[in-house]
Amino acid sequence: MKLTATTIIITLLATTVRSGTILLFPTVGEIFAERSGILNLGIEGMMIIGAFFGFVAAYITKNPYLGFVVGTLAGGVAALIYAFISITLRGNQVVSGLALTIFGLGITSFYGQRWINNKLPESIPTVVIPGLSKIPFIGPVFFRQDYIVYFSYILVLALWFILYKTKPGIHLRAAGQNARAADAMGVNVNATRYFWTFFGGLMAGAGGAYLTVAYAPFWLEGITAGRGWIAVALVIFAMWNPINALIGAYLFGGITALQFQLQASGTTIPSSLLSMQPYLLTFIIIIIATLIVRARHLGAPKELGTPYAREEK
Amino acid sequence: MLLFEKRENVSTKLKVAIPLISVFLGLVAGAIAILFTRTNPLIVYQALVKGAFSSVYTFSETLVVAIPLILISAGLIVAFKMNFWNIGAYGQYIIGAIFGTFFALNMPATMSRPLLLTIMCLAGILGGALWGLIPAALKAFWEVNEVISTLLLNYIALYILKYLMYGPWRNPASHGFPLSKPFELNAQLPRLLMRTRVHLGLILGIIAVIIVYILITKTKFGYEIRVIGENKRAARYGGINITKNIFIAMAISGGLAGLAGLAQLSGVIHMLQIEINPGYGYTAIIVAWLSSLNPIIAMFVSVIFGGLEAGGYQIQMAIRVPFGIVGTIESAVLFFLLGGEIFKRYRIKLRRNTS
Repeated sequence: MKLTATTIIITLLATTVRSGTILLFPTVGEIFAERSGILNLGIEGMMIIGAFFGFVAAYITKNPYLGFVVGTLAGGVAALIYAFISITLRGNQVVSGLALTIFGLGITSFYGQRWINNKLPESIPTVVIPGLSKIPFIGPVFFRQDYIVYFSYILVLALWFILYKTKPGIHLRAAGQNARAADAMGVNVNATRYFWTFFGGLMAGAGGAYLTVAYAPFWLEGITAGRGWIAVALVIFAMWNPINALIGAYLFGGITALQFQLQASGTTIPSSLLSMQPYLLTFIIIIIATLIVRARHLGAPKELGTPYAREEK
Repeated sequence: MLLFEKRENVSTKLKVAIPLISVFLGLVAGAIAILFTRTNPLIVYQALVKGAFSSVYTFSETLVVAIPLILISAGLIVAFKMNFWNIGAYGQYIIGAIFGTFFALNMPATMSRPLLLTIMCLAGILGGALWGLIPAALKAFWEVNEVISTLLLNYIALYILKYLMYGPWRNPASHGFPLSKPFELNAQLPRLLMRTRVHLGLILGIIAVIIVYILITKTKFGYEIRVIGENKRAARYGGINITKNIFIAMAISGGLAGLAGLAQLSGVIHMLQIEINPGYGYTAIIVAWLSSLNPIIAMFVSVIFGGLEAGGYQIQMAIRVPFGIVGTIESAVLFFLLGGEIFKRYRIKLRRNTS
């Protein structure tokens, strides 16, 4: 294949989708947790737990998909610790989330030391979708990916449908908007919150696992490098809508991909300044998104971060 | 089914017992984590205690770690009192260190030591405070979530540090390593004890704790931030200027984190490099929380956590137990503490068929 401008752009965009997928899973997961009223700031911790256990499972079984499943579940288990403390015991959500992050970074550094610099023997196979992959431009960008990326497309659509068109979606939004009214409607508020917090953990684990079984198939301490926090920010950017999350995740995936491309091309811009870009842009975008959310009175779920105490009427 | 009954007031016994039990259970959780590596946790803990408290030297190393924790946690307490979640001590520490280093590298070696050190300390405070005022302004004017803004600023600060260390501030004589020129003697905080690394920062920390204690218990500012923390709407109706208080609180919080970063460089490391332990900014959050936001208690808790960290370095070197165990134990302590606070607020009873 000749290295024309188009092929370079297509390669860059295809990498963008993969890099964005790492953020897409945790962002949609957190959207659902926050919609139910739970502000779980432990995404970074759950992601790195997913990344580590996913990597180890993939390494031992030589099966990246199994690694992805194990990492996803590990994120879910981590979320349950958080859910028990913040929902059942009504602990402070902000600090519990931080504790979860410190825990994830600590435990993976503790168990991960002997895995440092191990690489997975084989990379995840690319699956070309017949027909769709032939669409000019869009085909090679979106339909020459791996199974996990395809799974993420379907997942986002399914989640959008669940959130806006189904009864569990109504219940979950009610729990986050007005817990007492939801309770009166017959919604078990805390059970709903438990479930979606667990789901958020699964998704954070999935994002982390995708990172280490597919995107960068090796283990390094702290490999998630703050992506969990970018996901927290993307939730606001997405205004709590899973479809917008797709746009946000790919946008940031694109910045990351572009920055690596620039570094590889031997630019004179110092690499530390390039590596800063995703964080700097998230920072700027979060300010703009907050202003838009305020101007349009969209706002966060009203009872985000408030524990529900049924007996205090 | 668990039944929660609200408590009217909390006994002192409970206030003391919950943190102590949390620390104990945190250690138990750490022990379980260690067991999975087929290592005897008792041996690890013994080595950890030995590495932290067994001799004058090891205890002095514990104090060396405690210094930044004391300074940062005192600052965090001011912000946390008003429910401003400053997670950005990590970045404020780095920027404080950078501001202080600027003077250490650019002032003549002949300058008087007290003068240069005073300038550096003020620069450290200024740097941290400015970095802390960014999220403060964003919160005060536009309601930008401070958890996210302070966290992202941590990463931005880290890359600014990396840029300086790989670029303009790299010492040409460091063989390509990302290190600045070493600080001259007049830019080094004096040591307090012979043959140890305990430095003047300890005194600065104690002064900071006393000032913060007076500030939050005896002044109008302290009263106002407490009201804001408990009920923002009531504070607004009561005529409290929330914007002004956010700015003051974050200037103090960031300033002390910046001073901690500067003190670590000027007192211990003696040059700017990439690894300057900004992670203390996260550890100090646990310290502040474990102390129920009391700066005097936080000072002593800082020594315990200093011991955990200093002992952690020791066991990593002596018996090759990865340092990650320290974070694991610290976070487990925090989990138990957060969970345990329910006993302060409610009496819990077990009932069948509540509805």
